[in-house]
Amino acid sequence: MFFQALLQVLSSSNTWQNALQFAALLLLPALGGVISERSGVVNIGMEGMMLIGAFTGVYVAVNTNNVWMGLICAIICGGLISLIHAVVSINFKANQVISGIAINIIALGLTSYLLFVLTPEHQGFPQLAASLRIPTPNWGPLADIPFLGAVLFQQNLIFYLALLILVGIHLLLFRTNIGLRIRAVGEHPQAADTAGVNVRLIRYWCVVGSGLLSGLAGAFLSLGIVGIFNANMTAGRGFIAMAAVIFGKYTPLGAAGACLIFGLGEALSYSVSLQGAGIDSNLIGTIPYLLTLIALVGFVGRTVAPAADGAPYEPGSE
Amino acid sequence: MAVPTIQRETSPARPPTSRLLLWLRKQGPRVGRPFFAVVLSILIGSIVILISSPGSFGDRLTTISDAYTALWAGSFGDGFSLSNTLVKVTPLIFASLSVAISFRAGLFNIGAAGQIVVGAMAADILALKATTWPGWLLVPSMILISMLAGGLWGAIVGFLKAWRGAHEVVTTIMLNWIAFYVTDYFIDGPFTAPGGVNQTNALPLQARLPRITDIYNATLGQFLPKADPYMYLVDVGFLIALLALGVYWFISKRTTFGYEIRVLGENPKAAVYAGIPTKRNILLVMAIAGAFAGLGGALHLMGQFPYQMVATTSRVDTTGFDAIGASLLGMNTSIGILLGSLLFGGLRSASPLMQASGISGDIVLVLEALILFCMASEFLPALRRVLPDWLRIMPARAASPATATPAPLPVEESGEEVLQEASTKKAGDDGTSLKEE
Repeated sequence: MFFQALLQVLSSSNTWQNALQFAALLLLPALGGVISERSGVVNIGMEGMMLIGAFTGVYVAVNTNNVWMGLICAIICGGLISLIHAVVSINFKANQVISGIAINIIALGLTSYLLFVLTPEHQGFPQLAASLRIPTPNWGPLADIPFLGAVLFQQNLIFYLALLILVGIHLLLFRTNIGLRIRAVGEHPQAADTAGVNVRLIRYWCVVGSGLLSGLAGAFLSLGIVGIFNANMTAGRGFIAMAAVIFGKYTPLGAAGACLIFGLGEALSYSVSLQGAGIDSNLIGTIPYLLTLIALVGFVGRTVAPAADGAPYEPGSE
Repeated sequence: MAVPTIQRETSPARPPTSRLLLWLRKQGPRVGRPFFAVVLSILIGSIVILISSPGSFGDRLTTISDAYTALWAGSFGDGFSLSNTLVKVTPLIFASLSVAISFRAGLFNIGAAGQIVVGAMAADILALKATTWPGWLLVPSMILISMLAGGLWGAIVGFLKAWRGAHEVVTTIMLNWIAFYVTDYFIDGPFTAPGGVNQTNALPLQARLPRITDIYNATLGQFLPKADPYMYLVDVGFLIALLALGVYWFISKRTTFGYEIRVLGENPKAAVYAGIPTKRNILLVMAIAGAFAGLGGALHLMGQFPYQMVATTSRVDTTGFDAIGASLLGMNTSIGILLGSLLFGGLRSASPLMQASGISGDIVLVLEALILFCMASEFLPALRRVLPDWLRIMPARAASPATATPAPLPVEESGEEVLQEASTKKAGDDGTSLKEE
């Protein structure tokens, strides 16, 4: 009974279309998390950065009547809020976890507050018109391929952008000089510093990069998938992305694989026919976190964080 | 700016005063940082309102003063508000104790949110299953099972940390969300109330805690004017919270275990050399932390809200995160935790009332985040470096971040680093304070 329902759901192109869409949504902040953690800055503020991006995207898109302006401003504001995290944790040597929590709280507070202050009658934004949403590119005949067409060629524009960014960040981290420096700064900042690498600058760029990517993901959520902004609409996706970073062993491709699994989990939790077979969507919701715990415990190859992850760097320290 | 001068004049001549001043001087930095954090957050909060609110400059200034007036009136302004604040403060104290006792051991527990939920859920399930039990049996059983469940939830973190080296920040985040989803499953599934309103059936009457006013009316109220129980909602859970603060003080200051976890927190390597059973203590301290938070969740359920809806995925309750702020602000001391919880509880409780007076109550979240930023980072020492000499109010010891945050985040195999950092910081502090004196 259950397996029949599961099989039926898994063979539907709709499930996989949703799964890839959610996976791309998780992938963007997860990639940001990968570069930030690889450079040695713990980032649990991705949830808040996404929320800021989601809000800014809708606010700017509605006010300028231009979705692209919304998208760009969402990315920039995601970067700006991450700049707070960067300054506080790199320059002022704050505890990076507390700073990340504060980013999440301030993003929740600020977006809810501004949603109240900046919208007419304090009623929030209306549902966005189709022209104010990020479009789905038309792939012509490719979109008509039976199964693959729906899954791969009817996705939102940001989905393809996320794939490009995935390849880009993988190459950046493992095939370029800059990537080598990022990893060195995260593993042994003193050695990197001795070799002439500007530790703080690299960390700044990586944290801001994670903010830009999270802002993009937020805009993808509000302007692309949902078409509206609600208070706290990210609903823990930043934390799932963080789980994906760890589950993917701090590599871009690993994180992408984790996002695919978690995205499929989310798509399954929305499936009505599975709920009919007695599987509760809430219990499916625990899957990403359970898997990550198992990965941490290390029954199947333990996940180890970069050596200097979370430790502020002081020039001249041993 | 006056403190050092006064001290120089009085210290040789009048020993008693000087002892007081020395004490003040010792305590000053501990108070200075939280005080600075609160003041700065109020200032920046004003700027946020100034920028975002509509109208002329004068209007905006009025909005700011309205906002803070509403904040004060809604939190501590009158008996009704104060009572509502104490209602919010009760679970916050328990959650802060959970965070603080793990801070003491150098562990960063951001899982209070999950532990609260698990404790409340366990108590709820027991009460809904054992409806026929009398109150004298049911209430203690609920308290016990909530502590057990919360403790178990915390112990998972301790176990994974001590034996598998999994970082507690990550595991607590994961366990939080698992707790939220599992609670949602129970609320939507087996224990859902008829009508599908995202809550369980109400607790049986004998499982609920009396309000403080009820007790007062039954005893002193016989002779004195009675209090209105619907006006003052705070229940005996608050008194239990005060008791828990005492228990926390006793554990951390008067027991061997408390000493051991402090050594563990301040210098893990020394703890190992001293033969302190590190792994066992990590497990135990996380279990105690979880028990505190779980109890808080259950008492909130029993005293205030007899439907299990404490924190779920659909309705995020921020107590677990406020607790981090409260225990940071309170520097992990009992009295500090009480004050920090009062502050954050007050912010929370005023928030809906601010909404009613036309200012979005979400601004209190911004204030809270700013306080966190200030407490976590070395703004104050950095500011002192920039300030001219005559403005340097606090002695340089305030700079020590070791008093504010438990330790630099324990990284895998970081015992050595922690040790070195601690020693360099100590050296730096002593150097600067010597220079000033």
